[in-house]
Amino acid sequence: MTEREKYLEQFNNSLHRLGRVTMLLSMIILTLVPFVFGAIYGVFPDGKGFLAGYIKVAMIYLPVSLVEFLVYAPMLGVGGSYLSFITGNVTNMKIPCAMNAQDIAGTEPGSAESEIISTISVATSAIVTMLVIVAGVVLLVPLQPVLQNEMLLPAFNNVVPALFGALGLKYFAKSPKIAVIPLVLMSALCIFVPSMINQTSVLIIPSGALALAIGFILFKKDML
Amino acid sequence: MDNYLSQVNAASFYLIVAVVLAFITIMCFVFLVKCYKAGIKIGMDPAVLKKTITSSATFTLLPSISILLGVIALSGTLGVPLSWLRLSVIGSLQYELNVAEIAAQSVGLTGLRLEELNVELFVTIALVMTVGILGGLFFTLFFLKKYLKKIRQNPKKEKSGKPGFGAHATTAMFVGLCGAYIGSYIGKAVPREGSDIMPLLVAIVAAIAMAVFEILIQKKGKAALENFSLAASMLIAMAAAVGFGMIL
Repeated sequence: MTEREKYLEQFNNSLHRLGRVTMLLSMIILTLVPFVFGAIYGVFPDGKGFLAGYIKVAMIYLPVSLVEFLVYAPMLGVGGSYLSFITGNVTNMKIPCAMNAQDIAGTEPGSAESEIISTISVATSAIVTMLVIVAGVVLLVPLQPVLQNEMLLPAFNNVVPALFGALGLKYFAKSPKIAVIPLVLMSALCIFVPSMINQTSVLIIPSGALALAIGFILFKKDML
Repeated sequence: MDNYLSQVNAASFYLIVAVVLAFITIMCFVFLVKCYKAGIKIGMDPAVLKKTITSSATFTLLPSISILLGVIALSGTLGVPLSWLRLSVIGSLQYELNVAEIAAQSVGLTGLRLEELNVELFVTIALVMTVGILGGLFFTLFFLKKYLKKIRQNPKKEKSGKPGFGAHATTAMFVGLCGAYIGSYIGKAVPREGSDIMPLLVAIVAAIAMAVFEILIQKKGKAALENFSLAASMLIAMAAAVGFGMIL
């Protein structure tokens, strides 16, 4: 083993140690935040409501997290992965930012140089995002009375339909063959069984499973 | 409602979030410095490393502003501090909103509606949002070292053959997710007792705005708009909701 290889192995191990410790600490701190919020007003998260919500969320987002981990970790390398998964916005920001930095630096994918560039890039990106949002939040505080105006209530009460209208257009246009059957079936279900309308948190599970099954069949038939 | 909003926008909440984010920012600095020094040690050009920092900073500026728009969208129901925290770490706007809606329904609300929220429900929703996204961190914490080692030992296997279903699986999952929500808005718009056409109208406006952005991005080559298309479409639709609220 050359001097350089020895150093890189040591460096990699120390990055893993640092990453694991800080990641574990971040997970603990973030989980404590809702409890600390509650303690201020003498309230506690409702265990039953939490479990019911978490199971539904996990059914969708655990597989998504696994796919993201498997696909993105090799692109980001050791340091880049720890930082990206903690600071979030991986697909829409960290991956393109790291790829762009590696392109500019002209490093070979998978090399030690490329990993260093990727980590520096992700760290810089995360710091800049934090600063921009802090600046925005400072500006947002004086706007609170305006944002809490009764007239704006329909806007904030309809933020979820606004999200799924925009997202729906994007995803349906991307995969119309997958979209048709779940959309028609879910609409029919909500038209004929009105009690399902306020149960979207349940509906998303069969709808997601159906879309996955259709996607898989189309993929196998080379029709995607 | 006013009481709830002032509770979730309390100064103490801002302080807690600031402390948590300061910890994560320091962590980013530590990684940055450590990698910079390692780069110098293995003979990389300091100019290249500095360029990485400046190019990444400029690359991030615009998308960061779009995240800020997300904070505004989320803050109306969950307050600024939690929205600030959630959109600064781990998640993204679409995850946070979807999970907040699922959590709201799981604690017995009809959805993420301001008039139904109170601080006790808020902390439960916040906990579901936080713990629900920890999957990626969990995989990284326990499997990253082994996984990267394995990948590096078999680099050719990674590149050969056609891409697997994994890449399509996430898209399919989100298609299903959107199908369920849009289906519920269509069902809700059917004229009968308790019907409400507003969510469908808002979704349609958001979809039209998004379609315009997609055309501008793909046909007119305005790629820079990509960072803003989702947040801007949402804000346009939310503005439309205020108008619909006056008419309906």
